[in-house]
Amino acid sequence: MSARSAWRALHYSAKRRVVQPTSPYRCFSCTRQAFDQAKPDQQRMTHFGFTNVPESEKESRVGAVFSSVASSYDNMNDLMSLGIHRLWKDHFVRSLNPGTPVANRPADAKDQGWNILDIAGGTGDIAFRMLDHATNINHDMQTRVTISDINAEMLAEGRKRSTATPYYNTSRLSFVQANAQDMPHIPSDSVDLYTVVFGIRNFTDKQAALNEAFRVLKPGGVFACMEFSKVENPVFDAVYKRWNFGAIPLIGQIVAGDRDSYQYLVESIERFPSQEEFRGMIQKAGFEIPGKGYENLTGGIAAIHKGIKPISRV
Amino acid sequence: MASLPRLHRARTSLSAIPSLRTSHQPGAVAPYHAPANSLSTSLSTSTSTARSSPISSSCLISNSATISQAQTRTPTPLCIRARARSHLHAQPQIQSALHPSIRTYHSSLHPRPPTHEYTNSQVAILSASLAHIPTEGFTRAALTAGARDAGFLDVSVQLLPRGEFDLVLFWLASRRGLLRAKVEDGCVFGETAGTPAGDRTGTGKGKGSGLSVDEKVRILIMERLRMNKDVKGVWQDALAQMSLLGNIPLAFSELHALSNDILNLAGDTAVDSTWYARRMAIGAIYASAEMAMTRDPTPDMVETEAFVKRRFEDKQALKDKVEGVGSWVGFWGNTVVGVGRSWGLKI
Repeated sequence: MSARSAWRALHYSAKRRVVQPTSPYRCFSCTRQAFDQAKPDQQRMTHFGFTNVPESEKESRVGAVFSSVASSYDNMNDLMSLGIHRLWKDHFVRSLNPGTPVANRPADAKDQGWNILDIAGGTGDIAFRMLDHATNINHDMQTRVTISDINAEMLAEGRKRSTATPYYNTSRLSFVQANAQDMPHIPSDSVDLYTVVFGIRNFTDKQAALNEAFRVLKPGGVFACMEFSKVENPVFDAVYKRWNFGAIPLIGQIVAGDRDSYQYLVESIERFPSQEEFRGMIQKAGFEIPGKGYENLTGGIAAIHKGIKPISRV
Repeated sequence: MASLPRLHRARTSLSAIPSLRTSHQPGAVAPYHAPANSLSTSLSTSTSTARSSPISSSCLISNSATISQAQTRTPTPLCIRARARSHLHAQPQIQSALHPSIRTYHSSLHPRPPTHEYTNSQVAILSASLAHIPTEGFTRAALTAGARDAGFLDVSVQLLPRGEFDLVLFWLASRRGLLRAKVEDGCVFGETAGTPAGDRTGTGKGKGSGLSVDEKVRILIMERLRMNKDVKGVWQDALAQMSLLGNIPLAFSELHALSNDILNLAGDTAVDSTWYARRMAIGAIYASAEMAMTRDPTPDMVETEAFVKRRFEDKQALKDKVEGVGSWVGFWGNTVVGVGRSWGLKI
């Protein structure tokens, strides 16, 4: 009797031993440990082109890209966009119409001229255009631009180029190296116009940057952003994608000797939210949207987004 | 049918400021009260007198309508009562007023869909800019000055994506609303206050009842042209803006809305085949009279008035000609068909 039951027990255990456990051995304490270790990696990821990288790494990776392209930035822009980026930038500045003509300025105004903050404007493309527009079109000598960029190499490029402009070494133009997601050196409600041109795509946390923009702008101030966007015509989109993924990395390899940076560039363009989604993000930060909220350029390759910080009315 | 006048009144009180309704986007605030709130700060003097005084004094104010005056109107007790009485009928109207959809047909029983969808801030900037039009013209400078008056920054004119053209449109729409308000207050056709446009023709009240629709239309056109007196010198700016290729459709739809309003206010309720022709004729007369107005040196617009009169004679002559030709063609057509049939043709 006892022999039979012993045999049965042996038999059972032999059978059981064949079945492999589906999950590895986990006691309660090591489950907790594993969970705690997995959490930061799982949640704090962001995209860098088509690959996912930890948030802490994105900043340095983007930094590396722009450090390597800083010197050939201008030539590459011309080649990649076939010169159209100059038209976009001119249009952007003209539509913003920076500067107040002296004749229209009230004599008792405490703030003369506009205070413009150009984020991610390292090479000064937009800043010099704004100052030119304010000076030559509106005859406004008081409007000033602060160029802010996270990348020292890009800022150095802008400094070099500013020596050729009449604004070099004047109070109208200043350079700041800062992260746009956190700018404690800029007081709240102090900026008339906040521009970010082809830059917000590279930010680690876009919503944080938008919230910071909302903070620094004066009530009634304008957030204006030009960024690559989604092409609306499917036929044109196919051609554009072909150009993006076929030609641009190749041009980057030949001209700048750096294929990977330009591969990142086109991938980041692809990953950027569509016009409507980005408008939603601007609204979420608290901005008021004028009209449709965005303006497509060249069929949607780029789009200008605008938002106005509402004034609190009694 | 007996409840129609009351229905009308309820409608007009709801759409008292047809042109100034704010947008109905989810983000926008309180569609109907919003413009009144935002305007009342700058216009408190004129509107408060208009509200507290009887019709005659509000007539005085709107007769000497200055640019800074806009048409903020609150429903009078009369119309609130009327709305309460015709509650069952008025309900769907209120519903549709709160959720307006694009309607392709014209209806006198529904509130008109808003002509422009401006947010509160946009209305604040635009209405402050109106005061600067006579000096600055329809320019960005007027907008900037208006933005500054409303407490905004110079850069805030970015709120208006169409820039100067938004100012032109707002001017046109607000004057159109003002014209409607004046007629409904009985300042144009005398003491017919409270009676909606559709009923004025039949009933024998007020001096307006003696006039024909054509005469009323002429009076309304002159009334609308007189509102342009202060901007006569800068009207070229507006014409230039409206003639830009991208702006033409909106300018035309605004002209159509004006001629539609004029005919509606003059008591023209016919819905026959000349519906479009009449609106086109009024639009053409008004637009050409605006051109004549810019070249009119007389302070009372005597020459413009004579011009409008001549155009109405032209219109009548043209109408007679077209009708004559039509009846001639109709007669001969009928005759030919009749003769053909008498010959045995299968027509």
